Amino acid sequence: MIRFIITRLLLLVLGLFVASALIFFTLRVLPGDVAQVIGGTQATPAQIEAIRRSLGLDRNVFLQYADWVGGLLRFNLGDSLVTGTPVATEIAEKLSVTLPLALLSLVVGLLIGIPLGVVSAIRHAKASGAVIAISAQALAAVPAVWAGVLLISLFGLALRWLPTQGFPLDGWDEPGRAIRSLILPALTIGVIEGAVLLRFTRSAALEAIGQDYVRTAAAIGLTKTRALLTHGLPNVMLSVISSLGLQIAGLIVGAVIVEQLFQLPGLGRMLVSDVGNRDLPKVQGDIFTLTAIVLLVGFAVDIAHRLIDPRQRTEVSS
Amino acid sequence: MALRLGKQSHLGKKTTGRRVLVAASIAVTAALVMTGCTGGGDNAGTLPTVNVGLILEPTNLDIRTTPGIAIDQVLIDNVYQGLVGRTPTNDIVDVIAKSHSVSDDGLTYTFPLNSGISFGDGTKLTADDVVWSIDQVRTNEAYAGNADLADVASVKKDGDDTIVITLSKPNSNLLWALSGRAGLVLEKAATNTLKTTANGTGPYKLSSWKQGDSLTLVRNPDYWGDKAKVGKIVFRYITDPSAQANALVNGDTVVQTQFDATLTKQLESDPDLVVHRGKTTDKYTLAFNNAVAPFTDLRVRQAIRQAIDVKAILKTIGGAGVAQGGPIPQIDPGYQNLDSVDAYDPENAKKLLAAAGQTNLNLTLTIPNVYGTTVADVLVSQLAAVGITLKVDSVEFATWLNDVYTNHDFQLSYVDHAESHDFGNWANPEYYFGYNNPTVQALYAESLAATDPAVVTAKLEEAAKIVANDAPAEWLYTATTLTVIKKGVTGFPTDSTTARLNLAKLSVKS
Repeated sequence: MIRFIITRLLLLVLGLFVASALIFFTLRVLPGDVAQVIGGTQATPAQIEAIRRSLGLDRNVFLQYADWVGGLLRFNLGDSLVTGTPVATEIAEKLSVTLPLALLSLVVGLLIGIPLGVVSAIRHAKASGAVIAISAQALAAVPAVWAGVLLISLFGLALRWLPTQGFPLDGWDEPGRAIRSLILPALTIGVIEGAVLLRFTRSAALEAIGQDYVRTAAAIGLTKTRALLTHGLPNVMLSVISSLGLQIAGLIVGAVIVEQLFQLPGLGRMLVSDVGNRDLPKVQGDIFTLTAIVLLVGFAVDIAHRLIDPRQRTEVSS
Repeated sequence: MALRLGKQSHLGKKTTGRRVLVAASIAVTAALVMTGCTGGGDNAGTLPTVNVGLILEPTNLDIRTTPGIAIDQVLIDNVYQGLVGRTPTNDIVDVIAKSHSVSDDGLTYTFPLNSGISFGDGTKLTADDVVWSIDQVRTNEAYAGNADLADVASVKKDGDDTIVITLSKPNSNLLWALSGRAGLVLEKAATNTLKTTANGTGPYKLSSWKQGDSLTLVRNPDYWGDKAKVGKIVFRYITDPSAQANALVNGDTVVQTQFDATLTKQLESDPDLVVHRGKTTDKYTLAFNNAVAPFTDLRVRQAIRQAIDVKAILKTIGGAGVAQGGPIPQIDPGYQNLDSVDAYDPENAKKLLAAAGQTNLNLTLTIPNVYGTTVADVLVSQLAAVGITLKVDSVEFATWLNDVYTNHDFQLSYVDHAESHDFGNWANPEYYFGYNNPTVQALYAESLAATDPAVVTAKLEEAAKIVANDAPAEWLYTATTLTVIKKGVTGFPTDSTTARLNLAKLSVKS
């Protein structure tokens, strides 16, 4: 087990390192730079060159990379070229919107996906099961933007129950308003993620129903539902957990789009405007943080999977 | 087996527990939904808070080194003030200066100062602050407005309450320049970071800036003039037009500037929202790269202008603009109606192209993606009608700055030139237009050197006419800007709101 964790840890570090190089050098290919954006349409070429020099953009690109990685090792993401504020501070502030949004979406997704997935598996031969499965198929194909617009027009504009955009100025100092402003965005992501999760749960549960141990449990007198819930569910949960790594990457991609739609001041929206400004230290920091979150979740899922599944534990020790 | 059954009952309990938990969390959420209703009124005493929707957010707040109107819009007049300022229709007014006078030779400008002025941080304003501020811009090439002060020979104080600016040669644009970045007065002794904070003499103080979201001003209780009637102004940056409409209908904002004219129907459900139309100097310019073929041929440039039906374009943008036949918009000096020059005439356009030997022309239009493609689509079909195939290349603004503005690597470009008094771009052969006409350059120089305003206007008119006849671009339209204001909100300007928003007189009827 320890060897397993060490290998995974080494892979994680290697993954982060490769990601840092990919992020840094891909961004250097983008046309245009921050000096031009700061200068705008009124600056002379001499002024732009002066801005470029003062920001250190004329330095060797490999030196710049070495500086950045050196900073990363000390948990220092550098300063924004546009505002001069530390990138890490900015990201931490935006994560206070994006992380709760992702968590809330995950909760919505799990609440929808797992129970309905199990129900549709148990009733797979009945009309109600088929309806659930088909709706999930359809829902999973809905673009987040469209779902968001529908939710906005229903709950925001027609019923006026919830705010359609924005986040309270004082952030989490106004917890009621903060949560209210996250409900529609979280539903937008959560419902779609839930539909994906539902299909996952359904096929895992269907497989479990066909297994000997569930049939045996049914044979000794449990109802089929009971048998599945008692003996099949742990196995279903295993495949759900292993799909969570991908699901969370999906949640984060969803957050980028949905933050734009609902004008939430989160990491995704900041990323879009940073790319527009060519504020590369911030873009690097944003993407690296997102990559690190996805890789860390993957790492945690691997370990959790290993710990929960007794079959894998035995394989290692033998 | 017994063990397993035991586990089962345990699981049963757990499920009930979970159910209670889920029910509880739903109840809590519901309670929050019910109770957490509507904000507003915050803590700035009994004075109201006004939420204003804007589109373009500043990249940073450095009024000295970061050009761009997004900073001017929120900070000039409200937080920073200059010796002189400008009205929404671009007339010059005194602000920190009590009055101003110009000597007959046009070389000496005298500004007696108002008394009792202090900065937002409480420090009294002195004549030294004014001299220092203008000298900073004058001597530092990286400062916005530096080029506007090229003719200034000295800035001095005469006693403690008068400023005298001496020029090396007359410059009719000086007062205009001083009403912009070049004339703003900052505190010499202040040490605040300009990129994220601001300290000026205006009726409001900058309270906070949440990047990517909002910027908040609070009333300056010690303002030297008439104090503000609202406690707090929150500028919310909302780029998506539908989200702007939703915010208005929902009451999240009570004012929205630069509203999309094609979406006014969405506001009809709220009879208290009034749409105001205002003038701007936003010149939506389809520029040709005059330095390269085929645009070196006058006939090709004229043909493109004549192939374009401006009326049809105005229709697609919901009527939010007026035709602009030449380089100068209506509210700038030197404007004259030049709509008849190269007016819409597709048949003649075809003849011109045939005469130029360009019957099968393939052109590329580079357009920043912030403008959408509605207008570009119309251009494609209008140019197709005269035999020109137009490819639209929609790029990020940063890419446009790099390829078109800096490297002049383009054929046709479409952007909004929002600045007022920017005719000088047509007299600058280095500008991305690549337009080089020595007569125009000489006339512009003469207009700057003139001391009589009538001569200034006459020279600009003459130059503008030559530019229009040279067809270096098609001026598609000057934008009419839509400001949506909720009834009860008064004192919000509706002209030139894309450049300035003087909110000193803003008030709300409760």
